[in-house]
Amino acid sequence: MGNTRVIVAVYGPREVQNKSQQNNNQALVRCEYSMANFSTGDRTRRQKGDRRSTEISLVIRQTMEASILTHLMPRSQIDIFVQVLQADGGTRSACINAATLALADAGIPMRDIVTSCTAGYLCSTPLLDLNYVEDSAGGPDVTVGILSKMDKVTLLQMDAKLPMDIFENVMQLAIEGCKAIANYIREVLLENTKQLESRRGG
Amino acid sequence: MVGLSEGEKHFIRGGIAQDLRSDGRKRLQFRSISVETGVIPQANGSARVRLGATDVIASIKAELGKPSILRPDKGKVSIFVDCSPTAAPMFEGRGGEELSNDLSVALQRCLLGGTSGAGAGIDLSSLIIVDGKVCWDLYIDGLVISSDGNLLDALAAAIKVALSNTGIPKVSVLGASSDEQPDVDVSDEEFLQFDTSGVPVIVTLTKVGRHYIVDATSEEESQMSSAISVSVNRRGQICGLTKRGGAGLDPSVVLDMISVANSVSQQLITVLDSEIAAAEASEE
Repeated sequence: MGNTRVIVAVYGPREVQNKSQQNNNQALVRCEYSMANFSTGDRTRRQKGDRRSTEISLVIRQTMEASILTHLMPRSQIDIFVQVLQADGGTRSACINAATLALADAGIPMRDIVTSCTAGYLCSTPLLDLNYVEDSAGGPDVTVGILSKMDKVTLLQMDAKLPMDIFENVMQLAIEGCKAIANYIREVLLENTKQLESRRGG
Repeated sequence: MVGLSEGEKHFIRGGIAQDLRSDGRKRLQFRSISVETGVIPQANGSARVRLGATDVIASIKAELGKPSILRPDKGKVSIFVDCSPTAAPMFEGRGGEELSNDLSVALQRCLLGGTSGAGAGIDLSSLIIVDGKVCWDLYIDGLVISSDGNLLDALAAAIKVALSNTGIPKVSVLGASSDEQPDVDVSDEEFLQFDTSGVPVIVTLTKVGRHYIVDATSEEESQMSSAISVSVNRRGQICGLTKRGGAGLDPSVVLDMISVANSVSQQLITVLDSEIAAAEASEE
Protein backbone atom coordinates (compact mmCIF):
# COMPACT_ATOMS: atom_id res chain seq x y z
CA MET A 1 0.00 0.00 0.00
CA GLY A 2 1.91 2.99 -1.25
CA ASN A 3 5.45 2.67 0.03
CA THR A 4 4.55 0.10 2.65
CA ARG A 5 5.61 -3.32 1.39
CA VAL A 6 4.68 -6.52 3.13
CA ILE A 7 5.08 -10.23 2.34
CA VAL A 8 2.86 -12.82 4.01
CA ALA A 9 3.41 -16.57 3.91
CA VAL A 10 0.78 -19.03 5.12
CA TYR A 11 1.73 -22.56 6.15
CA GLY A 12 -1.01 -25.05 6.87
CA PRO A 13 -3.29 -26.55 7.79
CA ARG A 14 -0.68 -28.93 9.13
CA GLU A 15 0.00 -30.99 12.20
CA VAL A 16 0.27 -29.10 15.46
CA GLN A 17 3.90 -28.69 16.50
CA ASN A 18 3.24 -28.15 20.18
CA LYS A 19 0.91 -30.94 21.24
CA SER A 20 -0.06 -29.18 24.44
CA GLN A 21 -1.72 -26.41 22.44
CA GLN A 22 -3.68 -28.76 20.25
CA ASN A 23 -7.38 -28.08 20.16
CA ASN A 24 -9.68 -30.99 19.39
CA ASN A 25 -12.51 -28.83 18.10
CA GLN A 26 -10.81 -26.30 15.89
CA ALA A 27 -7.64 -25.27 14.15
CA LEU A 28 -4.93 -23.35 15.96
CA VAL A 29 -4.07 -20.09 14.26
CA ARG A 30 -0.61 -18.64 14.89
CA CYS A 31 0.88 -15.48 13.58
CA GLU A 32 4.32 -13.94 13.64
CA TYR A 33 5.11 -10.39 12.60
CA SER A 34 8.67 -9.36 11.82
CA MET A 35 10.17 -6.21 10.41
CA ALA A 36 13.26 -6.26 8.27
CA ASN A 37 16.28 -4.35 9.50
CA PHE A 38 16.05 -2.02 6.55
CA SER A 39 12.31 -1.44 6.72
CA THR A 40 12.28 1.89 8.52
CA GLY A 41 14.02 5.15 7.65
CA ASP A 42 16.85 4.69 10.11
CA ARG A 43 18.14 1.20 10.08
CA THR A 44 17.67 -0.46 13.46
CA ARG A 45 18.51 -3.96 14.47
CA ARG A 46 15.20 -5.48 15.44
CA GLN A 47 14.97 -7.79 18.37
CA LYS A 48 12.71 -10.73 17.69
CA GLY A 49 9.84 -10.78 20.16
CA ASP A 50 9.84 -7.13 21.11
CA ARG A 51 6.59 -5.70 22.43
CA ARG A 52 5.34 -4.02 19.28
CA SER A 53 5.88 -7.17 17.19
CA THR A 54 4.08 -9.29 19.77
CA GLU A 55 1.16 -6.90 19.91
CA ILE A 56 0.76 -6.69 16.16
CA SER A 57 1.08 -10.48 15.87
CA LEU A 58 -1.74 -10.84 18.37
CA VAL A 59 -3.90 -8.28 16.57
CA ILE A 60 -3.47 -9.96 13.20
CA ARG A 61 -4.11 -13.38 14.67
CA GLN A 62 -7.34 -12.33 16.34
CA THR A 63 -8.56 -10.56 13.23
CA MET A 64 -7.90 -13.50 10.94
CA GLU A 65 -9.21 -16.02 13.44
CA ALA A 66 -12.58 -14.30 13.37
CA SER A 67 -12.82 -15.05 9.68
CA ILE A 68 -11.22 -18.49 9.28
CA LEU A 69 -13.63 -21.42 9.59
CA THR A 70 -11.49 -23.10 12.20
CA HIS A 71 -14.04 -25.75 13.15
CA LEU A 72 -13.51 -27.37 9.74
CA MET A 73 -9.93 -28.24 10.56
CA PRO A 74 -9.68 -29.58 14.11
CA ARG A 75 -6.37 -30.68 15.59
CA SER A 76 -4.42 -28.73 12.99
CA GLN A 77 -2.37 -25.56 12.87
CA ILE A 78 -2.33 -22.63 10.49
CA ASP A 79 0.74 -20.36 10.56
CA ILE A 80 0.66 -16.85 9.21
CA PHE A 81 4.11 -15.28 8.85
CA VAL A 82 4.27 -11.59 8.09
CA GLN A 83 7.46 -9.92 6.93
CA VAL A 84 7.58 -6.15 6.54
CA LEU A 85 10.00 -5.07 3.82
CA GLN A 86 9.31 -1.37 3.96
CA ALA A 87 7.28 0.54 6.52
CA ASP A 88 5.64 3.83 5.63
CA GLY A 89 2.59 4.00 7.88
CA GLY A 90 -0.41 1.67 7.94
CA THR A 91 1.71 -1.47 8.36
CA ARG A 92 -0.96 -3.17 10.43
CA SER A 93 -3.53 -2.68 7.68
CA ALA A 94 -1.20 -3.77 4.92
CA CYS A 95 -0.41 -6.93 6.90
CA ILE A 96 -4.07 -7.83 7.35
CA ASN A 97 -4.86 -7.27 3.67
CA ALA A 98 -1.87 -9.34 2.64
CA ALA A 99 -2.82 -12.07 5.12
CA THR A 100 -6.30 -12.27 3.61
CA LEU A 101 -4.81 -12.74 0.15
CA ALA A 102 -2.33 -15.32 1.38
CA LEU A 103 -5.04 -17.33 3.16
CA ALA A 104 -7.21 -17.23 0.04
CA ASP A 105 -4.23 -18.33 -2.04
CA ALA A 106 -3.69 -21.21 0.38
CA GLY A 107 -7.28 -22.29 -0.06
CA ILE A 108 -8.11 -22.00 3.62
CA PRO A 109 -11.87 -21.66 4.11
CA MET A 110 -12.89 -18.23 5.40
CA ARG A 111 -16.22 -16.60 6.23
CA ASP A 112 -15.44 -13.42 4.39
CA ILE A 113 -12.62 -11.22 3.08
CA VAL A 114 -11.05 -9.25 5.93
CA THR A 115 -9.71 -5.88 4.93
CA SER A 116 -8.25 -3.09 6.96
CA CYS A 117 -7.53 0.58 6.52
CA THR A 118 -6.42 3.51 8.63
CA ALA A 119 -7.85 6.99 8.82
CA GLY A 120 -6.86 10.08 10.74
CA TYR A 121 -7.85 13.64 11.43
CA LEU A 122 -5.43 16.50 10.71
CA CYS A 123 -6.13 20.19 10.16
CA SER A 124 -9.87 19.60 10.65
CA THR A 125 -9.98 17.14 7.77
CA PRO A 126 -10.50 13.41 7.99
CA LEU A 127 -7.69 11.71 6.04
CA LEU A 128 -7.66 8.18 4.65
CA ASP A 129 -4.62 5.86 4.82
CA LEU A 130 -2.00 7.90 6.65
CA ASN A 131 1.62 7.48 5.75
CA TYR A 132 4.47 7.67 8.24
CA VAL A 133 4.91 11.45 8.05
CA GLU A 134 1.21 12.12 8.53
CA ASP A 135 1.04 9.59 11.32
CA SER A 136 3.88 11.23 13.23
CA ALA A 137 2.19 14.62 12.93
CA GLY A 138 0.47 13.93 16.22
CA GLY A 139 -3.14 13.59 15.11
CA PRO A 140 -5.32 10.61 15.94
CA ASP A 141 -4.94 7.39 13.97
CA VAL A 142 -7.88 5.00 13.68
CA THR A 143 -7.30 1.48 12.35
CA VAL A 144 -10.39 -0.41 11.27
CA GLY A 145 -10.70 -3.99 10.07
CA ILE A 146 -13.97 -5.26 8.63
CA LEU A 147 -15.54 -8.38 7.20
CA SER A 148 -16.51 -6.79 3.93
CA LYS A 149 -19.69 -8.60 2.80
CA MET A 150 -21.06 -9.11 6.29
CA ASP A 151 -20.27 -5.49 7.15
CA LYS A 152 -18.96 -6.34 10.61
CA VAL A 153 -16.06 -4.67 12.35
CA THR A 154 -13.43 -7.09 13.65
CA LEU A 155 -10.62 -4.70 14.49
CA LEU A 156 -10.81 -1.21 15.92
CA GLN A 157 -7.84 0.62 17.38
CA MET A 158 -7.17 4.26 17.95
CA ASP A 159 -4.59 6.43 19.60
CA ALA A 160 -4.71 10.09 20.64
CA LYS A 161 -8.03 11.76 21.38
CA LEU A 162 -10.92 12.66 19.16
CA PRO A 163 -14.38 14.15 19.85
CA MET A 164 -17.18 11.62 19.48
CA ASP A 165 -18.93 13.11 16.42
CA ILE A 166 -15.67 13.48 14.49
CA PHE A 167 -14.76 9.94 15.49
CA GLU A 168 -17.87 8.64 13.74
CA ASN A 169 -16.88 10.46 10.54
CA VAL A 170 -13.35 9.18 10.64
CA MET A 171 -14.45 5.63 11.31
CA GLN A 172 -16.96 5.78 8.44
CA LEU A 173 -14.19 6.99 6.17
CA ALA A 174 -11.96 4.12 7.22
CA ILE A 175 -14.77 1.62 6.64
CA GLU A 176 -15.32 2.98 3.14
CA GLY A 177 -11.60 2.62 2.53
CA CYS A 178 -11.82 -0.99 3.67
CA LYS A 179 -14.69 -1.67 1.28
CA ALA A 180 -12.75 -0.20 -1.63
CA ILE A 181 -9.79 -2.43 -0.77
CA ALA A 182 -12.14 -5.43 -0.49
CA ASN A 183 -13.41 -4.79 -4.03
CA TYR A 184 -9.88 -4.61 -5.32
CA ILE A 185 -8.85 -7.79 -3.50
CA ARG A 186 -11.91 -9.59 -4.86
CA GLU A 187 -10.97 -8.59 -8.43
CA VAL A 188 -7.39 -9.76 -7.92
CA LEU A 189 -8.55 -13.12 -6.55
CA LEU A 190 -10.99 -13.60 -9.45
CA GLU A 191 -8.25 -12.81 -11.93
CA ASN A 192 -5.94 -15.27 -10.21
CA THR A 193 -8.58 -18.00 -10.24
CA LYS A 194 -9.22 -17.44 -13.94
CA GLN A 195 -5.53 -17.84 -14.65
CA LEU A 196 -5.35 -21.03 -12.62
CA GLU A 197 -8.40 -22.33 -14.39
CA SER A 198 -6.95 -21.63 -17.82
CA ARG A 199 -3.66 -23.27 -16.87
CA ARG A 200 -5.58 -26.30 -15.71
CA GLY A 201 -7.26 -26.40 -19.09
CA GLY A 202 -10.73 -25.68 -17.73
CA MET B 1 10.62 -29.22 3.49
CA VAL B 2 8.90 -32.54 3.60
CA GLY B 3 11.01 -35.51 4.53
CA LEU B 4 12.49 -37.63 1.75
CA SER B 5 11.82 -41.30 1.33
CA GLU B 6 14.62 -43.80 0.75
CA GLY B 7 13.62 -44.08 -2.88
CA GLU B 8 13.82 -40.34 -3.39
CA LYS B 9 17.21 -40.14 -1.72
CA HIS B 10 18.49 -42.92 -3.94
CA PHE B 11 17.08 -41.14 -6.98
CA ILE B 12 18.84 -37.88 -6.11
CA ARG B 13 22.18 -39.53 -5.45
CA GLY B 14 21.94 -41.67 -8.56
CA GLY B 15 21.03 -38.69 -10.72
CA ILE B 16 24.00 -36.72 -9.51
CA ALA B 17 26.31 -39.63 -10.19
CA GLN B 18 25.05 -39.72 -13.77
CA ASP B 19 25.29 -35.96 -14.34
CA LEU B 20 21.53 -35.59 -14.63
CA ARG B 21 19.88 -33.97 -11.64
CA SER B 22 16.22 -34.06 -10.63
CA ASP B 23 15.41 -30.87 -12.48
CA GLY B 24 17.38 -31.81 -15.58
CA ARG B 25 20.47 -29.76 -14.85
CA LYS B 26 24.03 -30.88 -15.25
CA ARG B 27 26.22 -31.04 -12.16
CA LEU B 28 27.90 -27.71 -12.79
CA GLN B 29 24.89 -25.78 -14.00
CA PHE B 30 23.21 -22.97 -12.12
CA ARG B 31 19.48 -22.44 -11.96
CA SER B 32 18.14 -19.44 -13.83
CA ILE B 33 18.98 -16.23 -12.01
CA SER B 34 16.65 -13.26 -12.05
CA VAL B 35 17.78 -9.95 -10.65
CA GLU B 36 15.85 -6.82 -9.67
CA THR B 37 17.45 -3.65 -8.41
CA GLY B 38 16.10 -0.81 -6.34
CA VAL B 39 13.44 -2.89 -4.59
CA ILE B 40 13.82 -0.89 -1.36
CA PRO B 41 13.65 2.75 -2.39
CA GLN B 42 14.37 3.94 1.16
CA ALA B 43 17.78 2.28 1.17
CA ASN B 44 20.89 3.55 -0.56
CA GLY B 45 21.03 0.41 -2.64
CA SER B 46 19.05 -2.78 -2.83
CA ALA B 47 18.61 -5.87 -4.93
CA ARG B 48 16.45 -8.95 -5.07
CA VAL B 49 17.90 -12.15 -6.50
CA ARG B 50 15.89 -15.22 -7.39
CA LEU B 51 17.77 -18.47 -7.91
CA GLY B 52 15.08 -20.97 -8.78
CA ALA B 53 12.81 -20.94 -5.73
CA THR B 54 15.38 -19.30 -3.48
CA ASP B 55 14.52 -15.62 -3.05
CA VAL B 56 16.71 -13.15 -1.16
CA ILE B 57 16.81 -9.39 -0.76
CA ALA B 58 19.91 -7.38 0.08
CA SER B 59 19.71 -3.79 1.19
CA ILE B 60 22.50 -1.34 1.84
CA LYS B 61 22.19 1.70 4.07
CA ALA B 62 24.93 4.21 4.58
CA GLU B 63 25.13 6.28 7.73
CA LEU B 64 27.73 8.68 8.97
CA GLY B 65 29.97 7.30 11.67
CA LYS B 66 33.37 7.42 13.25
CA PRO B 67 36.13 5.16 11.92
CA SER B 68 37.77 2.75 14.31
CA ILE B 69 40.97 3.88 15.96
CA LEU B 70 42.93 0.97 14.55
CA ARG B 71 41.98 1.84 10.99
CA PRO B 72 41.40 5.56 10.74
CA ASP B 73 41.59 5.62 6.98
CA LYS B 74 38.92 3.06 6.29
CA GLY B 75 35.14 3.09 6.52
CA LYS B 76 33.17 0.38 8.29
CA VAL B 77 30.94 -2.29 6.83
CA SER B 78 28.77 -4.69 8.74
CA ILE B 79 26.82 -7.56 7.26
CA PHE B 80 23.73 -9.08 8.87
CA VAL B 81 21.52 -11.78 7.48
CA ASP B 82 18.01 -12.48 8.69
CA CYS B 83 16.07 -15.61 7.80
CA SER B 84 12.44 -14.62 7.58
CA PRO B 85 9.86 -17.10 8.86
CA THR B 86 8.15 -16.77 5.48
CA ALA B 87 10.95 -18.89 4.08
CA ALA B 88 10.33 -21.88 6.31
CA PRO B 89 8.17 -22.38 9.38
CA MET B 90 11.15 -23.50 11.38
CA PHE B 91 12.60 -20.00 11.16
CA GLU B 92 9.93 -18.51 13.36
CA GLY B 93 10.84 -16.97 16.65
CA ARG B 94 14.52 -17.63 17.18
CA GLY B 95 14.64 -20.75 15.07
CA GLY B 96 16.44 -19.09 12.21
CA GLU B 97 19.06 -17.48 14.39
CA GLU B 98 21.74 -20.12 14.03
CA LEU B 99 21.48 -20.20 10.28
CA SER B 100 21.41 -16.39 10.13
CA ASN B 101 24.58 -16.12 12.17
CA ASP B 102 26.24 -18.80 10.08
CA LEU B 103 25.43 -16.97 6.85
CA SER B 104 26.43 -13.55 8.25
CA VAL B 105 29.82 -14.79 9.38
CA ALA B 106 30.50 -16.60 6.11
CA LEU B 107 29.63 -13.48 4.12
CA GLN B 108 31.79 -11.32 6.35
CA ARG B 109 34.68 -13.67 5.89
CA CYS B 110 34.36 -13.64 2.12
CA LEU B 111 33.69 -9.96 1.56
CA LEU B 112 35.47 -8.14 4.31
CA GLY B 113 38.89 -9.73 4.42
CA GLY B 114 40.97 -10.37 7.49
CA THR B 115 40.86 -8.66 10.85
CA SER B 116 43.30 -6.02 9.72
CA GLY B 117 40.92 -5.02 6.97
CA ALA B 118 43.41 -5.90 4.30
CA GLY B 119 42.28 -7.77 1.22
CA ALA B 120 38.65 -6.82 1.51
CA GLY B 121 36.48 -7.32 -1.54
CA ILE B 122 34.89 -3.95 -0.91
CA ASP B 123 37.26 -1.03 -1.05
CA LEU B 124 36.92 0.41 2.44
CA SER B 125 39.14 3.41 1.87
CA SER B 126 36.60 4.83 -0.57
CA LEU B 127 34.23 5.19 2.38
CA ILE B 128 36.35 7.62 4.34
CA ILE B 129 35.37 11.28 4.53
CA VAL B 130 37.72 12.81 7.05
CA ASP B 131 40.60 10.64 8.21
CA GLY B 132 40.14 9.52 11.75
CA LYS B 133 36.95 11.48 12.32
CA VAL B 134 34.12 10.84 9.89
CA CYS B 135 33.47 7.92 7.64
CA TRP B 136 30.59 6.07 6.10
CA ASP B 137 29.18 3.09 7.94
CA LEU B 138 27.70 0.65 5.48
CA TYR B 139 25.04 -1.65 6.84
CA ILE B 140 24.41 -4.55 4.51
CA ASP B 141 21.25 -6.44 5.43
CA GLY B 142 20.27 -9.68 3.81
CA LEU B 143 16.80 -11.11 4.11
CA VAL B 144 15.92 -14.64 3.05
CA ILE B 145 12.34 -14.67 1.86
CA SER B 146 12.15 -18.11 0.35
CA SER B 147 14.63 -20.89 0.82
CA ASP B 148 15.36 -23.70 -1.63
CA GLY B 149 19.02 -24.30 -1.10
CA ASN B 150 22.17 -22.37 -1.93
CA LEU B 151 21.42 -19.38 0.25
CA LEU B 152 25.04 -18.26 0.46
CA ASP B 153 25.50 -17.90 -3.29
CA ALA B 154 22.20 -16.06 -3.66
CA LEU B 155 23.03 -13.68 -0.82
CA ALA B 156 26.49 -12.92 -2.18
CA ALA B 157 25.02 -12.26 -5.63
CA ALA B 158 22.36 -10.00 -4.12
CA ILE B 159 24.99 -8.06 -2.19
CA LYS B 160 27.08 -7.61 -5.32
CA VAL B 161 24.12 -6.32 -7.31
CA ALA B 162 22.95 -4.12 -4.44
CA LEU B 163 26.42 -2.58 -4.20
CA SER B 164 26.34 -1.78 -7.89
CA ASN B 165 23.00 -0.08 -7.29
CA THR B 166 24.23 1.87 -4.25
CA GLY B 167 24.61 5.60 -4.34
CA ILE B 168 26.57 7.25 -1.56
CA PRO B 169 25.63 10.91 -1.20
CA LYS B 170 28.31 13.44 -1.94
CA VAL B 171 29.67 14.99 1.21
CA SER B 172 31.37 18.33 1.60
CA VAL B 173 33.28 19.05 4.76
CA LEU B 174 32.64 22.43 6.33
CA GLY B 175 34.92 24.12 8.79
CA ALA B 176 36.81 21.45 10.66
CA SER B 177 38.38 22.22 13.99
CA SER B 178 41.16 19.91 15.00
CA ASP B 179 39.61 17.96 17.89
CA GLU B 180 35.88 18.14 17.42
CA GLN B 181 33.73 16.41 14.89
CA PRO B 182 33.86 18.39 11.68
CA ASP B 183 30.54 19.44 10.24
CA VAL B 184 29.65 17.65 7.12
CA ASP B 185 27.05 18.63 4.64
CA VAL B 186 25.36 15.65 3.04
CA SER B 187 24.01 16.56 -0.34
CA ASP B 188 20.61 15.35 -1.41
CA GLU B 189 21.73 14.83 -4.94
CA GLU B 190 23.73 11.70 -4.94
CA PHE B 191 26.00 9.98 -5.80
CA LEU B 192 29.15 8.16 -5.90
CA GLN B 193 28.45 4.87 -7.57
CA PHE B 194 30.21 2.00 -5.97
CA ASP B 195 32.92 0.24 -7.85
CA THR B 196 31.91 -3.39 -7.78
CA SER B 197 34.46 -4.89 -10.11
CA GLY B 198 36.43 -6.10 -7.14
CA VAL B 199 33.48 -7.57 -5.27
CA PRO B 200 33.65 -11.36 -5.23
CA VAL B 201 30.86 -13.86 -5.75
CA ILE B 202 30.50 -17.07 -3.82
CA VAL B 203 30.15 -20.46 -5.43
CA THR B 204 29.15 -23.35 -3.21
CA LEU B 205 30.16 -26.82 -4.27
CA THR B 206 28.20 -29.56 -2.57
CA LYS B 207 29.66 -33.03 -2.45
CA VAL B 208 27.11 -35.81 -2.78
CA GLY B 209 28.58 -39.28 -2.99
CA ARG B 210 31.69 -38.98 -5.13
CA HIS B 211 30.68 -35.98 -7.22
CA TYR B 212 30.21 -32.31 -6.62
CA ILE B 213 27.33 -30.16 -7.75
CA VAL B 214 26.86 -26.47 -8.03
CA ASP B 215 23.73 -24.66 -6.79
CA ALA B 216 22.09 -27.42 -4.78
CA THR B 217 18.38 -27.33 -4.02
CA SER B 218 17.38 -28.01 -0.44
CA GLU B 219 16.57 -31.64 -1.30
CA GLU B 220 20.05 -32.12 -2.73
CA GLU B 221 21.59 -30.31 0.24
CA SER B 222 19.96 -32.78 2.60
CA GLN B 223 21.99 -35.52 0.89
CA MET B 224 25.34 -33.78 1.04
CA SER B 225 28.33 -35.12 2.84
CA SER B 226 30.19 -31.83 2.85
CA ALA B 227 30.24 -28.52 1.02
CA ILE B 228 32.84 -25.92 0.23
CA SER B 229 31.92 -22.32 -0.44
CA VAL B 230 34.57 -20.46 -2.41
CA SER B 231 34.54 -16.76 -2.91
CA VAL B 232 36.20 -15.68 -6.16
CA ASN B 233 36.55 -12.26 -7.73
CA ARG B 234 36.74 -11.31 -11.39
CA ARG B 235 40.48 -11.69 -11.55
CA GLY B 236 40.19 -15.28 -10.46
CA GLN B 237 41.61 -14.64 -7.03
CA ILE B 238 40.17 -16.51 -4.10
CA CYS B 239 38.81 -14.19 -1.44
CA GLY B 240 37.47 -16.63 1.10
CA LEU B 241 36.75 -20.26 1.83
CA THR B 242 34.28 -22.03 4.06
CA LYS B 243 33.84 -25.73 4.52
CA ARG B 244 30.64 -27.10 5.95
CA GLY B 245 29.54 -30.58 6.75
CA GLY B 246 31.06 -33.26 8.91
CA ALA B 247 32.62 -35.57 6.36
CA GLY B 248 36.35 -35.34 5.91
CA LEU B 249 37.73 -34.41 2.51
CA ASP B 250 40.92 -35.55 0.91
CA PRO B 251 43.21 -32.54 0.31
CA SER B 252 43.47 -33.29 -3.41
CA VAL B 253 39.68 -33.30 -3.61
CA VAL B 254 39.62 -29.93 -1.89
CA LEU B 255 42.05 -28.46 -4.41
CA ASP B 256 40.06 -29.91 -7.27
CA MET B 257 36.84 -28.44 -5.89
CA ILE B 258 38.49 -25.05 -5.60
CA SER B 259 39.61 -25.05 -9.22
CA VAL B 260 36.17 -26.17 -10.39
CA ALA B 261 34.61 -23.39 -8.32
CA ASN B 262 37.01 -20.93 -9.91
CA SER B 263 35.94 -21.78 -13.45
CA VAL B 264 32.24 -21.86 -12.60
CA SER B 265 32.49 -18.52 -10.83
CA GLN B 266 33.75 -16.79 -13.95
CA GLN B 267 30.53 -17.81 -15.72
CA LEU B 268 28.47 -16.63 -12.75
CA ILE B 269 30.25 -13.27 -12.71
CA THR B 270 29.56 -12.82 -16.42
CA VAL B 271 25.88 -13.63 -15.96
CA LEU B 272 25.57 -11.29 -12.98
CA ASP B 273 27.35 -8.47 -14.74
CA SER B 274 25.04 -8.71 -17.73
CA GLU B 275 22.03 -8.75 -15.41
CA ILE B 276 23.33 -5.68 -13.60
CA ALA B 277 23.88 -3.89 -16.88
CA ALA B 278 20.37 -4.84 -18.04
CA ALA B 279 18.87 -3.60 -14.80
CA GLU B 280 20.75 -0.32 -15.02
CA ALA B 281 19.70 0.15 -18.61
CA SER B 282 16.06 -0.46 -17.81
CA GLU B 283 16.24 2.06 -14.97
CA GLU B 284 17.24 4.90 -17.27
